[in-house]
Amino acid sequence: MQETFLERVQDFYEKLVFTYGTTLLITYAFLAALSLAAIIHFLRRNKNIDYTSMLDSPIVPGISVVAPAFNEGVTIIANVRSLLTLNYPLFEIVIINDGSTDDTLEKMIREFELVPVDFAYNIKLVSQPVRKFYKSTNEAYAKLLVIDKVNGKSKADAVNAGINACAFDYFLCTDVDCILESTTLLKLIKPVMDEEKHRVIATGATLRMANSCDIDQGVITRVRPPKQWLPRFQEMEYLRAYVLGKMGWSWINCVPNVSGGLGLFDKEIAIKAGGYDHQSFGEDMELMTRMCRYCYTNDIKYAIRYIPITLCWTEGPSTIKIFMRQRTRWSRGLAQLMFAHIKMLFNPRYGRMGMVVFPYNFFFELLAPIVEFFGVVYYITLICMNMINWQFAILLLVFVYAYSVMITTLAILWDQITFRYYKSWREVASLCLMPFFEMFIYHPMIMIFALRGYYYFITGKKHGWGSMTRKGFGGNNAGAAVAAAKP
Amino acid sequence: MVLADYFFAPFFRRYFYYFDSYPIVIQIAILLTTIAVLATFSAYAVILYRRYAGNRHEKKLARINPDLDNYITENIILNEQLATGEPVNQIVLPMGIFEKSLYRRRWVQQATIDRIIHYRKNFGGEIGGLLKKLYIDLELDKVSFKRLKSVKWDKKVKALKELTAMDMSIADVNILPLTNSKNRELRSEARHAYIKLSKNEPFKFFDIVTEPLLMWDQLELFKIITTTKDISIPNFARWVTYSSNKSVVAFCLKLIVHYNQQQAIPAIEKLLDSKDHYLRENAINALGKLKAEDTENKLVSIYSNQPLTCQLEILKALGRMGTGNHLEFLRHEFLRSADFDVRKNAAKSIINHKADSASLLKELLDTATAENALILKHCMNPLIKY
Repeated sequence: MQETFLERVQDFYEKLVFTYGTTLLITYAFLAALSLAAIIHFLRRNKNIDYTSMLDSPIVPGISVVAPAFNEGVTIIANVRSLLTLNYPLFEIVIINDGSTDDTLEKMIREFELVPVDFAYNIKLVSQPVRKFYKSTNEAYAKLLVIDKVNGKSKADAVNAGINACAFDYFLCTDVDCILESTTLLKLIKPVMDEEKHRVIATGATLRMANSCDIDQGVITRVRPPKQWLPRFQEMEYLRAYVLGKMGWSWINCVPNVSGGLGLFDKEIAIKAGGYDHQSFGEDMELMTRMCRYCYTNDIKYAIRYIPITLCWTEGPSTIKIFMRQRTRWSRGLAQLMFAHIKMLFNPRYGRMGMVVFPYNFFFELLAPIVEFFGVVYYITLICMNMINWQFAILLLVFVYAYSVMITTLAILWDQITFRYYKSWREVASLCLMPFFEMFIYHPMIMIFALRGYYYFITGKKHGWGSMTRKGFGGNNAGAAVAAAKP
Repeated sequence: MVLADYFFAPFFRRYFYYFDSYPIVIQIAILLTTIAVLATFSAYAVILYRRYAGNRHEKKLARINPDLDNYITENIILNEQLATGEPVNQIVLPMGIFEKSLYRRRWVQQATIDRIIHYRKNFGGEIGGLLKKLYIDLELDKVSFKRLKSVKWDKKVKALKELTAMDMSIADVNILPLTNSKNRELRSEARHAYIKLSKNEPFKFFDIVTEPLLMWDQLELFKIITTTKDISIPNFARWVTYSSNKSVVAFCLKLIVHYNQQQAIPAIEKLLDSKDHYLRENAINALGKLKAEDTENKLVSIYSNQPLTCQLEILKALGRMGTGNHLEFLRHEFLRSADFDVRKNAAKSIINHKADSASLLKELLDTATAENALILKHCMNPLIKY
């Protein structure tokens, strides 16, 4: 009797996992097709546009670039200079010094000839108190506004202070150490200005690793895939997530998240939705969810758009320790978000967000590491009990392996169709190799770090704001590792 | 499944002896594995091919572009006959390199068109005219016109871009229908071309446009209108008064401001009675930028009935006009309003009055609350622009 029951449980579990896996594979295939359509559509529509000729137009909407900085003393000058090279007719750069304990602020004051100013600051979003505002006496840095505030232990808190001080209707949220392409603002505002029926509340673009790129004066001069294996895995993962994933979701207006590294947002909606949640570990996704929720509640027909071109380069973690810290925080943020907004799951009131985006994130992002973990345990148990059909097991493993390699290779192909970022075929080949090792090296790490994040979420373990240890880009900063202290 | 079985089962039967005996799930997995492997290798092939084709094309261009550059430099830019004042249409251009069979190939023709357009963007006047003559002499205009008749919208767009860049006239009958095309890119490019090429009424399509002019369309149109030479600028008040297309009206308001068309003020003033907030907001903005002082009283009189966006525009307009007639109104709004943006814009407008508001500013700084004093100092600081 007991044996029959166990057999039933086993049969049920196997069928459940089979259905889960099949749905996931079908979804990936579906996304691959959608993203290709979206990329082709984007390329056809944009191939004749001369962006440079629009860069002096007096009728573009203004954009505030918001970039928080915490203990970025080694790289801050180069990073701010990089942001100042942005090309757009009407913009300002708002740097928020989030109570740095190093010389970040002093360096900026010296380099950019900053003086304290009386600034009328309207607190629409809650953040830690602002100590001072600084503007430059040098006309060359007139676009720069520096906010010095008490440390809020999160990027969200710093960005909220920045949004409060923004002058324009749109803000671009980025990390101060990200390197942006000079026409980023125009390329990101285009989907907003080009939309016929919806209010575009956020736009994003592809991010890449800057680790092995040639950088001169804060400008990328030569794109290369990272030489180190860990950042190269991340480059591969980013391409799959942005070029294949988000482009596919964008095509059906179901983008789940606009990256914290690079995202342009409608300030009014962001403020009305309550701004960034400083307690969240996935503040970018959390804000996006609340913005969508606000739109549904207020009958605003919104859209979130992605473009396949790379506009932002960021330094990816190159050691397992930092990588683990980053992924643990991300997965903890995802768990927080899912539980905070669980009412949206399969709730038709929230349209596509409730019926597509949320279920996808819940089942295939949140639950995936758990399903995988139990799958591995189950597998090992079957092996130990000699209950495994090796022939079928190997065939199925080969299938999953071949499928995952195919999906990632397609993402690389889509990226190559968008633009040939890498100069030589060797560089492309070095990236094409990564999917073959992903299943054995990179993916297990992601799974373990995700489970660690869930554990921290459940136990409520204190987890400091993960400012990443950075090496800095090029010049004098190369190799000068910045061990950022954790607040 | 039946089809898959029909096509693939014999194949697998050959190589997997037990294929038929496998459960259906395993059979599907084998099938999909094969498809995945094939798709992966196909992806590699496409990546390699695209890189090869792209590099080859770049190399080919690198080979012929110097020849084209030399020809254009020697025979167009440094043309001796042009230097002696000979009219462009009487200059005979040597065919030189273009007599080679290579230059009859389609990709070379396209490269030549692109190179001529590249130079044409940088050279106007007689050199520009001579470049156009080269384009016509080489019968490249026929290539562009042929492309204009294509059924594919992207080819049409490319043709319109080329013809516009070379300032070739296109019959209204061919281009006007395209300005209302259902395809946004084609519609947009046709409008650009019409403005640039139509000698009589370049803005005629404003009368027939039914689709909205999106913000990006407006950006591109604005650029073309304001940078095209020898274009006859009409009184845009005509569309402000008669157009039923809201986006056309809003766009015309921007053009009126750009060209400082003071004669359009009465037409804009009528928009203040419009029920549409968006139009009213744009109209108030335009009146302020035009410094339409006669409308000042009306702006103040309607202020209390307006939504916040229009109220802010009225405050800004009063500051831009800077007549000093409504300083008391601005003072009142600055002191009494609970809204931060209203107070900030009122303060900015008071400061914009410069000498006229000096005593009022002093009084406000002396008596204002800490927050209001901060707003005033913010607005008075020349380092803070926004």
